[in-house]
Amino acid sequence: MSRTLWHFLIALLYLFLLAPILVVVIVSFDTRQYLAFPPESLSFGSYAKVFANQTFISAFGRSVMIGLAVGLAAVVIGTLLSMALVRYRFRGREGVNFLILAPFLVPHIVLAVGIMLVLAPMQLLDSYTGIILAHLGITVPYTVRTITMSLMSVDRRVEEAAMVHGATPFAVFRRITLPLIAPGLIAGGVIAFLISFDEATISLFIVSVKVSTLPTEIYNYLEVSTDPQIAALSVLLIAVSIVVVIAVEKLIGLRRAL
Amino acid sequence: MSEHHVVVENLVKTYPGAATPSVDHVSFALPKGEMLALLGPSGCGKTTILRMIAGLIEPTSGAIQLNGREISQTPVHKRNMGMVFQAYALFPHMTVAGNVAFGLEMRGVPNSERGPKVQRALDMVKLGHLGDRRVTQLSGGQQQRCAIARSLVIEPELLLLDEPLSNLDAKLRDEMRDEIREIQSRTGVTAIFVTHDQDEALSMADRLAVMSAGRIEQIGTPREIFDAPANEFVAGFIGAGNFLSGRVTAPGQAEIEGLGPLRFAAPASVGSRVQLMVRPHRFKLAAPGPNAFTGQVESLVYRGQILTLAITVGGRRLTADLHTHAGTLPAKGDTVTLAVAPGDVTFLSEAAA
Repeated sequence: MSRTLWHFLIALLYLFLLAPILVVVIVSFDTRQYLAFPPESLSFGSYAKVFANQTFISAFGRSVMIGLAVGLAAVVIGTLLSMALVRYRFRGREGVNFLILAPFLVPHIVLAVGIMLVLAPMQLLDSYTGIILAHLGITVPYTVRTITMSLMSVDRRVEEAAMVHGATPFAVFRRITLPLIAPGLIAGGVIAFLISFDEATISLFIVSVKVSTLPTEIYNYLEVSTDPQIAALSVLLIAVSIVVVIAVEKLIGLRRAL
Repeated sequence: MSEHHVVVENLVKTYPGAATPSVDHVSFALPKGEMLALLGPSGCGKTTILRMIAGLIEPTSGAIQLNGREISQTPVHKRNMGMVFQAYALFPHMTVAGNVAFGLEMRGVPNSERGPKVQRALDMVKLGHLGDRRVTQLSGGQQQRCAIARSLVIEPELLLLDEPLSNLDAKLRDEMRDEIREIQSRTGVTAIFVTHDQDEALSMADRLAVMSAGRIEQIGTPREIFDAPANEFVAGFIGAGNFLSGRVTAPGQAEIEGLGPLRFAAPASVGSRVQLMVRPHRFKLAAPGPNAFTGQVESLVYRGQILTLAITVGGRRLTADLHTHAGTLPAKGDTVTLAVAPGDVTFLSEAAA
């Protein structure tokens, strides 16, 4: 009896967590020009409109490009930082460690104001460089975490064996260390891409027209109209995340990578 | 120029913050083709010496020469050594052949020459048919063999082995012990191996260095170490012993407290104090007489080939390992007499009274 009750409660919890997504998916098929639930009749009309909207399409392209650049740069920076933090004992190591993880603790809105004030005098607002730098600030903590975890699981003796048998320090890194931490690099890169792709708060402060991303365009659109196009766009955003996660899971196994 | 292939001189390693050095003025030399065992309890500095020779740890002071060339400032990857690690440290993301080929690849050996060399090395360790396997699919003994092939394929100046057998089960250990010895003498490679197992050291090495607290207590052939140990530590660490101290009353005879006279075959001046030892297996059952001690059997362990028994004589315990036979064996509580030939008494040290 209590077992059934327990299962029922868990099912309710899942429903509660998934309900907003389900509602968005259902609403995205509504034919009316305002957001309401439940829909009266269903069609793919909103999706067709989204794909016909040049603003959305170009913003999507820019988001993907920014996301790829951020993912790649965050992995490179994360690898260098992790190597320093895991492999070397230097003064101020704890401090550096804290600084890297600090963005986890600060609300994005606060970060956004700070980043804007730093980028403005450098003429980097509404530029690719600016938005990529801003996104690196919030994604590098994640890549450092996943890569640090991978690095700590690498057996130093294996690297020593490579050295003794003739590998230069660079060859040890390229042939031994790098392949062994690859799952951490991929996981970090994927997380960084997804965070950059979905990020709205900070982007709203940094970009305006030239390098607007998909989340900022959604926000701009919402200011003037609320119709099922927004729901359709949201479903597409969710789909992109799911596709990326499934691809990684199929390729290397996400659980191994994380 | 030294005629020795490997010369280690006054090697010292003191870790920052440590009160005493981990390795304390260690010196030894090896001719080409010799196998030396560094033997000692854990923490005696034997692995530190090995890692300093490999270049993985920087010595505090001292010299390491290989082929007459000073190498203590040479970077690790240029020392041309082969090393077998305790847990093998194979490259987990490569195949067996990939692991073995690694050293050749790093030396820029062209692909066409690499293949046959790798195959020969794998054949030597009986892994010729497993080259395409991933190393994670190998058993412990096979991983060990792969590690040996990886370290020998580069034809190293010196082969270093760090507790190579400690991760294997007993049966496999004996097998690999013979195999490593066989491969070493066939290839003629000079080798140093580290172990805490006296059987391993005695049976594999041409010479062994017994270490304690960062120093070499004695270095010599297995026989020298076993039959003429330099001091009580060496005598006790290699094999068991009944330690007997007494005063020399006549040439070749000492009065042992509680036991009486014991004859031994070593020069010692009359009146001095001597430290003697009798290995348990050197005792024989005999009738009472000279160099014989009679007492009651206090404990007894039957081990098939060997019967280990302890008797009490004058408040002192003597242990003996006797070969078993089909007849009647002593039982607990029996009174037995153990005798030892003067030549089988090990002389340890002498001090003026």
